[in-house]
Amino acid sequence: MIQEYIPILLFLGFVTANAIGMLVFSHILSPRRPTKIKASPYESGIPPLGSTRERFSVKFYLIAMLFIVFDIEVVFLIPWGVQFRKLDDPLTGFVAMAIFILVLEVGHAYAWKRGALEWD
Amino acid sequence: MGLDQPKRTGTESVVSSISPNWVTTRLDFLINWGRSNSLWPMPFGTACCAIEFMATAASRYDLARFGMERMSFSPRQADVLLCAGRLPFKLASVIRRIYDQMPQPKWVISMGACASTGGIFDNYAMVQGIDTVIPVDVYVPGCPPRPEGLLYGILMLQKKVRGETLADSSLRDEDELNRQGLRLPPSLVDELSEPFGNSIHQTRSG
Amino acid sequence: MNPTVQALRNKFQGAIGRGAVSCGDTIVYVKAASLSEVMAFLKEWPDQEYNYLVDITAVEYRDPERPLEMVYELFSLGRRAQLRVKVELDKSEELVVDSLVPLWNGANWLEREVFDMFGVRFAGHPDLRRILMWETYAEGHPLRKDFPLRGRFSRAEQVRQALNANPEAHYSMEEISIAEAYHEIPAEMRERLARGERGKLAEPENS
Repeated sequence: MIQEYIPILLFLGFVTANAIGMLVFSHILSPRRPTKIKASPYESGIPPLGSTRERFSVKFYLIAMLFIVFDIEVVFLIPWGVQFRKLDDPLTGFVAMAIFILVLEVGHAYAWKRGALEWD
Repeated sequence: MGLDQPKRTGTESVVSSISPNWVTTRLDFLINWGRSNSLWPMPFGTACCAIEFMATAASRYDLARFGMERMSFSPRQADVLLCAGRLPFKLASVIRRIYDQMPQPKWVISMGACASTGGIFDNYAMVQGIDTVIPVDVYVPGCPPRPEGLLYGILMLQKKVRGETLADSSLRDEDELNRQGLRLPPSLVDELSEPFGNSIHQTRSG
Repeated sequence: MNPTVQALRNKFQGAIGRGAVSCGDTIVYVKAASLSEVMAFLKEWPDQEYNYLVDITAVEYRDPERPLEMVYELFSLGRRAQLRVKVELDKSEELVVDSLVPLWNGANWLEREVFDMFGVRFAGHPDLRRILMWETYAEGHPLRKDFPLRGRFSRAEQVRQALNANPEAHYSMEEISIAEAYHEIPAEMRERLARGERGKLAEPENS
């Protein structure tokens, strides 16, 4: 049985060797001529003005959190949906999932009401 | 070569001390083949020559067959700075900085008459040839050069790249500005910028 | 001829010079001292309403005796009427004219261009500095007839000045605050901005 996985192992080894080789050889063979201007940030040919540490809107974080929660919900929803017809007791299955979704929808409604889904 | 050896760094010192031999020449061939067939251009297009460059990159004259279809608008990922169009004095420091920010190996193609010599714009505002500002490898004449002309220039650059060797580290030396901030002595800049040909007879002021 | 010329003559008598028609365009000459009033009249008077300032430029003629002319191209969008106002400036005196920025905001850059190319100063302009050439351009005003085609400095000097130009020196306070970079700029640049100086050519170490 192990013999069937040997090609995969070889492939893995080759891929790793290839990636490492590309990095190592380009590091060895590349010319290295650092200058002060070369190391400065690129800003269309003019000396850079201002810091690159821009401040991001906190809304991105909020959206990401909400996304994670509802994405996990979907992850649970999909296998349930696939196997629904083969369940012994479809009604129980349906009610169980409905309760699960309802709990999450309470949170959704709260976020909606509080304006977490508004961008501006 | 000779008594005045430039300072060598890294692989080049190893390679140059044992070259030329079969291994280093094969290595040179491999590296130059890779470099010449994938010269990613940075199109520094300022004027009409840029349109011809776009035409060369389009389907009829196709730059993709030379590996140059991937334009890099950041100098960090570019191999060739292709100055297509006239360069005003206001833009000179910009092109110099962009050239400085390109990592080695880098080459420069000066496309068109204005980039090579100032072209028809022999006046107070235009740089008379970008070679007063950055070192140029290939000059492509024309106003604008036809796509075939630009392709000829690109093929010439490829030939130049194929003729390089790892053993010569001076090929990859950075072009430096002298203490006055010029890359050439002032007399040479004046000489390169002098009017020539027909424009000598057309001057009405000093 | 555009009836505006007659209306101008009725209102301003002495300040209006000759009128002319050229290729369908009406031209009227105005004295420099009354330029602001005439322009305000042309813009705001109900019958005139020249609300679009098309262009401001200047002409210096080949004959040295002819004065330098300021050219203002006006257009009335509602009435579809065109008018060209010319102001003659004596070259032996200082070239100054009133700025039209209070009337038309578009005059800002147009007047900067005339200042850059001809050296005409505009009294009351909020930010009179060069616009086409770089701010520290020291060779003069390029479109004057006594300016040589290739500039006054040698090519090497022009290249040297171009390469040593410090774009950072030319940022305005507004641009820097937009980039939120006020705290990152070097101290001497901050002082320079506070003094209102904009643009000093960076001198090389050994010149």
